[in-house]
Amino acid sequence: MTDLKTHPASFRDPAGFVFEHEKKFYRQVNQCYADQYETFKQSGLYDQLVNEKKLLAHVELEKKLILSDGGYKTLLPEQLGFISYPYEWCFEQWKDAALLTLELVRKSMERGMILKDASPFNIQFIENKPVFIDTLSFEKYDETKPWIAYRQFTECFLAPLLLAKYHSPELLNIFSLYPQGIPLQLVAKLLPGKSIFNANVFLHINLPGRVAKNYAKSSKENIRFTKKKLSSIISNLESFVKSVHLTPALTTWNNYYEETVLSNVYVEEKIKIVGQWLKETPGNSVLDIGTNTGLFAEAAAAAGKFTIAIDGDVTCIDRLYIACRQKGIRNLIPLCVDITNPSPAIGWDNAERTSFLSRANADITMALAVIHHLAIGKNIGFEQIAATFSKLSRYLIIEFIPKSDPKVMLLLQEREDVFIHYNEAYFVEVFSQRFDVLSRLVIHGTERIIFLMKGILQQ
Amino acid sequence: MYIDPGSGSYLVQVIIAAILGAVFYFKGIWLRIKLFFGGRKKEQQPDNPEEHD
Repeated sequence: MTDLKTHPASFRDPAGFVFEHEKKFYRQVNQCYADQYETFKQSGLYDQLVNEKKLLAHVELEKKLILSDGGYKTLLPEQLGFISYPYEWCFEQWKDAALLTLELVRKSMERGMILKDASPFNIQFIENKPVFIDTLSFEKYDETKPWIAYRQFTECFLAPLLLAKYHSPELLNIFSLYPQGIPLQLVAKLLPGKSIFNANVFLHINLPGRVAKNYAKSSKENIRFTKKKLSSIISNLESFVKSVHLTPALTTWNNYYEETVLSNVYVEEKIKIVGQWLKETPGNSVLDIGTNTGLFAEAAAAAGKFTIAIDGDVTCIDRLYIACRQKGIRNLIPLCVDITNPSPAIGWDNAERTSFLSRANADITMALAVIHHLAIGKNIGFEQIAATFSKLSRYLIIEFIPKSDPKVMLLLQEREDVFIHYNEAYFVEVFSQRFDVLSRLVIHGTERIIFLMKGILQQ
Repeated sequence: MYIDPGSGSYLVQVIIAAILGAVFYFKGIWLRIKLFFGGRKKEQQPDNPEEHD
C-alpha cells in the first residue's frame, strides 16, 4: 500500500479526504464525522439523491483501506473519467450547477440535513447533468441556525452568474482568479448601477457588504432562526437564479451557424470523412478543439466516443450544451476552453486544480478548420502546434486550410502577410516529424485538406 | 470543501428572511383586497422575491 496518495485538492475538510490507490479514487470518512455520515445514510437522503442521479454513488469498503489515523470508513465512489472545473463551464452549466446546489439544500432540509458548503468544485457534469460529488458535505440541520454556506453560495454562484448577465458571459472565467468565491464588495463595484434596482441583487449582493461593514460579529448569535425562514431564502434564491438570463438571449444567435459554416455539401462530406475515420481509429475518447457549432463533436459522440468539445467562445458552448441536453446526447461534454490559453494549474501548491491539458487525455484529437486561426490569427508556428497536439493524444484529425481559402484571405485582409511558410508542404513536413500521415483527403469542391495522423512514439 | 461562513452572514440571512416575510405578508393582504373587489382569478406573474413554497 505504498502508492496511497492524498488528492491535492482534498485537505480543507476535517470530515475526510480523497485519496488515490492503484489508479482508483477513494474517500476516507474520519471518526469525527462518523455520526454525521451515519445520520446522512439513515435519513434516506443518500438513497434518494443517488436514485435521482444528483449525487455520486459509492460503496463502503468492507475491508478498511485507511490512509491515516482517525479513519472511520473508506468509500469507493463511482469513478469519474474526466473532471471539469467551474471556470470552464458555460452560463447554462453554471446555472444548472447553482440550481442543483439549492435543490440539494431544500431536499436535505426535508430530511433533517443541510449542505455545509456550496462550492461549485463539488459539482461535475455527468452525461450533461450536474451531479454533486462530495459525500461529506452533508451535516445535521439545526433549525435555529441559518445556512452556514449562504455567503459561499452568493460568492461562488450568484457572483459569476450576475457578472455574466450584466457584462458578458466571458467574465465567468474570472472565477479562476477567485476559486474560493468572488468577493461581494468587488462584485457590487463591478455590477452596473442599474442592477441595484433588481431587488434580489440588492438583497444578496449589496446588502451583505453593508451589513458586514456595519455590524460587530458579537451581535449575531442571539437572534433565533427558523426552518420556515431558511426555506423562504432558499426558494427565493432558486427563483432568482432561474430568472437570471443572458442578454441578448441565446436565440438571437440563430444566424451564427449560417455565417460561420461554408456550404452544406462541404459540411456533409467532412462529417462523412470524419465519421468514417473515427470508426476505424482505435480509442474511446475524442478532444474536439474549436468545436464551434459542435457538429463534428456530435459526430464523434454518435460514433460512440466520449467527446470533450472545447471552444473559446462561451456562446458556442452554451448553444452546444443546450443542444446536447435537448437531444439527450450523453457522451459529449462542451467546455469553454481556449486552446491558445487553456486553464492553468491553480490553487495551493499549484496542485489543487490541474491544468486543462493534463486532464484532457483523449485518444483522438480533432482540429478542424482551426489551423489558420492558430497559425495566422495567433502567430503560433506549425512547430508549436505539432508539438502540443502530439502530447494531447495518439491520433490526430486535422484540417489544413490553404491561403487561397476565403476564410484565410479574410484573416489576412487586415494585416501584413508574414506567413511565408504557411503552405501544405511545410505543414506536412513539420507534422511528419511527430506524426505518420495515415490519410489525406481533399474535401470536394474546396481546397481544404483533411489529414488523419498517428503520433510517432518518442523513444 | 470546508468553509468559514464569514462575518455578517448570519445577520444578513436574518434581515433577508425578515424582508421576504414582510413581502409575503403584504402580498397576502394585497391578494385578499383584490379578491374582495372581485379581482379575476387568473393570477399574477410571480415576482421573484415573493415566490414561496
